[in-house]
Amino acid sequence: MNGIHKITVSNSSVKYEFDIKRNITIIKGDSATGKTTLVEMIGEYYESGESSGINLVCDKSCRVLAGRDWSTLLLTIKDSIVFIDEDNDFMISDDFARMVRDSDNYYVIVTREGLPNLPYSVDEIYGIRSSGKYAGLFQAYHEFYHIYGDHTPDERVIPHTVMVEDSNSGYDFFKGLSDGKDYEVISAGGKSKIFTEILENKRDGSIVVIADGAAFGAEIDRISKLVGRRRDIVLFLPESFEWLILYSGVLKNRELEKIMKRPNDHIESRDYFSWERYFTHLLMEMTKDSYLKYSKNRLNPVYLHDGISQRIRENIRNIEL
Amino acid sequence: MLSIYYGDMPEAIYNPARFFKNSYKDDWITDELSKQMIKDVDKSEVIGARVIDSPVLGGISPRELSGGVKTLIDIYKCPDKVFNASACGDNCAKWLIVLGNRMDITINLRHIMDFGEESFTIKILNTGQTVNSMDEMIPVAGMFVR
Repeated sequence: MNGIHKITVSNSSVKYEFDIKRNITIIKGDSATGKTTLVEMIGEYYESGESSGINLVCDKSCRVLAGRDWSTLLLTIKDSIVFIDEDNDFMISDDFARMVRDSDNYYVIVTREGLPNLPYSVDEIYGIRSSGKYAGLFQAYHEFYHIYGDHTPDERVIPHTVMVEDSNSGYDFFKGLSDGKDYEVISAGGKSKIFTEILENKRDGSIVVIADGAAFGAEIDRISKLVGRRRDIVLFLPESFEWLILYSGVLKNRELEKIMKRPNDHIESRDYFSWERYFTHLLMEMTKDSYLKYSKNRLNPVYLHDGISQRIRENIRNIEL
Repeated sequence: MLSIYYGDMPEAIYNPARFFKNSYKDDWITDELSKQMIKDVDKSEVIGARVIDSPVLGGISPRELSGGVKTLIDIYKCPDKVFNASACGDNCAKWLIVLGNRMDITINLRHIMDFGEESFTIKILNTGQTVNSMDEMIPVAGMFVR
């Protein structure tokens, strides 16, 4: 499946209206906001259709996955938006992650727990709120809101340490930028180690943490709770380093411009577990026969040439690199 | 005192809402503290043991309370059991502190719940430490859960 899918579901009491934008969406937040009611309404509509008294509008079939036989049921669900409520512990299993990776469904998962087996985006974690308006006389209108907002710093930050999630091309790039400057670039050795690395960092001054937002969803809660209490740490979470290059305009290509405007329409969930993987593939394909030939493991030094690195840096707002 | 075990805990009841559905009794609902928790978290008024007035859903039964408030009542009424309190949102946190001030309770958390900016006393069973603020709690809890 690809694309953005609008879902409207309502009964006489409540109405929900939201867009599902990529393969994995997480819903969390306060109790009593209507998460379980939403999943129950999706399930009841699937079982009984309009005779349930529920009205559901979506261009894809909406299903609920639950219970001990979840894997057998999931094998039969294709090209659908699958909702899972928080009381299903299979969502943390390796088997579930494998089936999500290999399927062409989109998934909407209610959980407050970070799911490290699933590469979901920091931008696709939502809470539900009642907007205060009423869709009908007695019908409370519910909508999604982003749990984790924009991380761009309000004021210009001059880092003393730049912490990069891994040691691939992104690390090489930021390390290259630091040549002759007063900050140090270190690798956390994996996104799951960033939390510990921040705690153990004994260097003075501000830290800029750079990670791939497209697959950082499982980490964002503990990191943002830690960062939120410290003024010396700033997060920079582009979709991925490859996205940053593609978005910078270094490559001139009309098709690319179209893709970057609305990637959702081009990223097939069965082929790409996360957007990060898609953008890596896209960049490698688009540069394979050129001087910009990109490799994930080691940076082609051409990306550090002044004109090119400057264009990439322009999209890193309010951070002095 | 409130004690927390962070991370996977096989002996904890993972689905507190199901436990509630099959265990609650009328007097669990009409208890004064339960009524206060229902009013605060669900914004709903207990009319009687089997009828609750919800501002969104209208007249509901205890089975239709939120997962968070069901979990709070489970913890309150069955303090000998350990429940997965990640079924509770942050708007339940103050009630976990209230319950912990009344009795010894242990909960399992699979995420970092926000207990607010006031000081509290919580024991983290993974390390044996007692913490008094979110500043103290986050670095410890974040080593065990995301």
